[in-house]
Amino acid sequence: MFKRLKLRKKPILILALAGVTILALFIIHLDFTVRARFEGKRFRLPAKVYARALELYPEQRLSQADLTKELELLHYREVSHAPQEQGTFRSNGNTLEIMSRPFVFADGSQEPMWLRVDFAGGRVKRMTSESGDSLPLVRLDPPLIGGIYPGNYEDRVLVRLSEVPETVIHALISVEDRRFYSHHGIDPRGLTRAIFKTVSGESVQGGSTLTQQLVKNFFLTPERTLRRKFTEMIMALLLESHYSKEEILETYLNEVYLGQDGNRAVHGFGLAASFFFNKSLSQLGLSEAALLVGMLKGPTYFNPRSHPQRALTRRNLVLERMVAEGFLDEAKLDSAKAEPLDVIDKPPGGTSPYPAFLTLVYRQLKRDYRDEDLRSEGLRIFSTLDPMVQAKAEKALSRGLERLEKLRRLPPGSLQGALIATTPQSAEVQAVVGGRDPQFEGFNRALDARRPIGSLIKPMVYLTALQQPDSYTLATLLEDSPLVVEQSGAADWTPQNYDKQYRGRVPLREALVHSYNVPTVNLGMSLGVSNVMVNLRQFGVEQELPEFASSLLGANALSPLEVTQVYQTIAGGGFFTPLRAIQAVLTPEGEALQRYPLNVEQVAAPAPLYLLTRALQDVVHEGTAEALNRYLSPELDIAGKTGTSDEFRDSWFAGYTGDRLAVVWVGRDDNGSTNLTGASGALTIWGEMMAGLHPEPLILSQPENVEQAWIDPTSGLLSARGCREAVELPFIEGSVPTESAPCGPGSLSSSVKGFFERLFGQ
Amino acid sequence: MNTRCLILFLAVVLLLSGCEVMLPGIAPRASQNAGVLALLNQAEQEISAGRFQAAGTSLERALRIEPRNPVLWQKLAQIRLEQVEYRQAENLAAKSNALAPDSRRLRAENWRIIGQARQGLGDRDGAQAAFEKARSGK
Repeated sequence: MFKRLKLRKKPILILALAGVTILALFIIHLDFTVRARFEGKRFRLPAKVYARALELYPEQRLSQADLTKELELLHYREVSHAPQEQGTFRSNGNTLEIMSRPFVFADGSQEPMWLRVDFAGGRVKRMTSESGDSLPLVRLDPPLIGGIYPGNYEDRVLVRLSEVPETVIHALISVEDRRFYSHHGIDPRGLTRAIFKTVSGESVQGGSTLTQQLVKNFFLTPERTLRRKFTEMIMALLLESHYSKEEILETYLNEVYLGQDGNRAVHGFGLAASFFFNKSLSQLGLSEAALLVGMLKGPTYFNPRSHPQRALTRRNLVLERMVAEGFLDEAKLDSAKAEPLDVIDKPPGGTSPYPAFLTLVYRQLKRDYRDEDLRSEGLRIFSTLDPMVQAKAEKALSRGLERLEKLRRLPPGSLQGALIATTPQSAEVQAVVGGRDPQFEGFNRALDARRPIGSLIKPMVYLTALQQPDSYTLATLLEDSPLVVEQSGAADWTPQNYDKQYRGRVPLREALVHSYNVPTVNLGMSLGVSNVMVNLRQFGVEQELPEFASSLLGANALSPLEVTQVYQTIAGGGFFTPLRAIQAVLTPEGEALQRYPLNVEQVAAPAPLYLLTRALQDVVHEGTAEALNRYLSPELDIAGKTGTSDEFRDSWFAGYTGDRLAVVWVGRDDNGSTNLTGASGALTIWGEMMAGLHPEPLILSQPENVEQAWIDPTSGLLSARGCREAVELPFIEGSVPTESAPCGPGSLSSSVKGFFERLFGQ
Repeated sequence: MNTRCLILFLAVVLLLSGCEVMLPGIAPRASQNAGVLALLNQAEQEISAGRFQAAGTSLERALRIEPRNPVLWQKLAQIRLEQVEYRQAENLAAKSNALAPDSRRLRAENWRIIGQARQGLGDRDGAQAAFEKARSGK
């Protein structure tokens, strides 16, 4: 009998043991999960992207209006007294007084400072500190221009518990979890009461503690089963055993869902404060805090924008609870309840106002970072965007397209365009416009529309020639007579000039300046198409391009970004620098993770580049881009090139000043004809934008192995100053023509002239 | 040329070279821009502290203000040389050269940098040619 009892007990014991083991394993598993999720959630932050920080220095071309605009972009507040608070400014005649904000840059931190900026004639005249010392240089904090959000578009502004006003915490505890500071994750008293009330039908109550609510957030599905409830309770207990109340509360405040902005989910009180009130959390008043806490119960149902009455009732209920819990004086209740909701109509743009530029930033980042890290590590990305240039570029493009449609009687909205602006020497991208609606987040024409570039290719053809100074100079005569190009496997091709005329022989410089097609094809064929394409690749085009005779006239399709890269290398004097949209990447703690330093690579000798650039300046002085002089002074010596593709489908202009390069494309999404040439379309937009940016003149440094000579253009022979039609041209040393034209040195007329010159001592 | 001219010429040369001997430390001002000078100064301090990366960042800030200033490009080349980034040092010095066709002093230093960079890259002949250019001042 004793034995039988023993035998019977054994399986129960084993079963119990197994049960305990399984439960223990389950708890260990839950413990692991909950800790991983908690740590993960705490730091899951989208990357923040900043524009370039504005540097201020004396003599800078920057108007008072420009700086005021920048301060507005930074959300600095204008005050009527001397600014004392960080992020405020006062305008006073020709002076701005600013109390700047502190900021941690890649190369150190900028302390907040008081400064006074005096303006005169559209420039910064003087900068002085509070003590009256003159300041040589001040860097403002950079404007935030957007974020890179997780896949489900969660956005948040992480707050520390120390920044959270007491009222928020009091309201939260009053409404959601009265015994938060005394329970251990679950609240048996609250739970019992909730069950009792639910069963008795009095009301349906949650009874979840803040800890449980937080745990619930860790699961993606809002499933409501008993098993889930059980797991949730164990996890809550585990969470409390590992983390302090403060850590749990802080995570809760950053985690909870509080609203929706299009496809962007608003999480956490930090973001909610700016989303509903355009304030930082620490600035929230009592009734504002109560409103946000009240919304937790149902962010959609109690949305103050769509259901203000519901939200108001709920807020006042929260306030009453706060009185009941002893957090609020009866006396303050009435005035708090009487306050309006004060929710701002339009939330400040969370979705960036610069989607096209951000796409470029994102693509460049993806070369070095995993998608997951970009969306969750809270990286701080310092971009090269210049909001002032971007604003001018957007305006010039959308207005320009409207104007062109009216002028050409095209259906409104039929034209599209793209624009990229950069700094010519350091290749920093200052603006990207991907279409006529800059807010549109879809197809980004600046990066992704590949279109035939037409005559924009010609500088590459002529550079290839000028790199052989023994055979070609700017004065070399090129054949301009009927030409048939025979190609194996393709129909014969008869390139024609724009005006369908032939000029016999034209100087190389003029062929480029007036963008003649026939001489270009002749030249390119003798150089070899593939040699031209080698140069194109050297100058920064990465994609493999087919090589046809028609490639010499720009039959190949490139994106505006690719064109910008090529012209960047030209503007950089033959030094290739990859276009950069990012300056540096920092961790949330301010540690530099990666810098994108300025790298240059010489891909062409300076002398041929100099000759080419001189010709490109003449394109604007006297050639196909002459119309630019309507927008900008010829004294700026701008270099540029127009491009038009077959049947006027694409209108291009690429050009640069001393301080800025830009490429504009105009065309149609359906690839139809625009009836525009490069000069009548894209050029006008380019000119309008640049005129608004007060460009610096393009001053070239003449390489040491370049000399000037007077040339008779018709014969290409040496001439002299004062001879009819003689032009002064740059030559690479040793390539100046030796033969003289009738009026040139050594000729009869020149010796007569020389006689008179000697006579009058000239 | 007559004798008087020659004497005058020699006198001027002597005077000028005398100036140089008397004021050895004074180089031509690197910039007229107060902001650029402040950043250049900051870069110098960072270089002496061995903080080359920071110095590079300061110079890039200066280059945003004066993108065609050959002194800034040269300084950047010197920093890359210190950082053993020879390829960049060579290219940056060449860039400085391209922007300073008339400054013998600057060019000579650029060729020295190019020579050292080529040496670092194991290009002996190239280095020799560069040092030769630095000496001849071409």
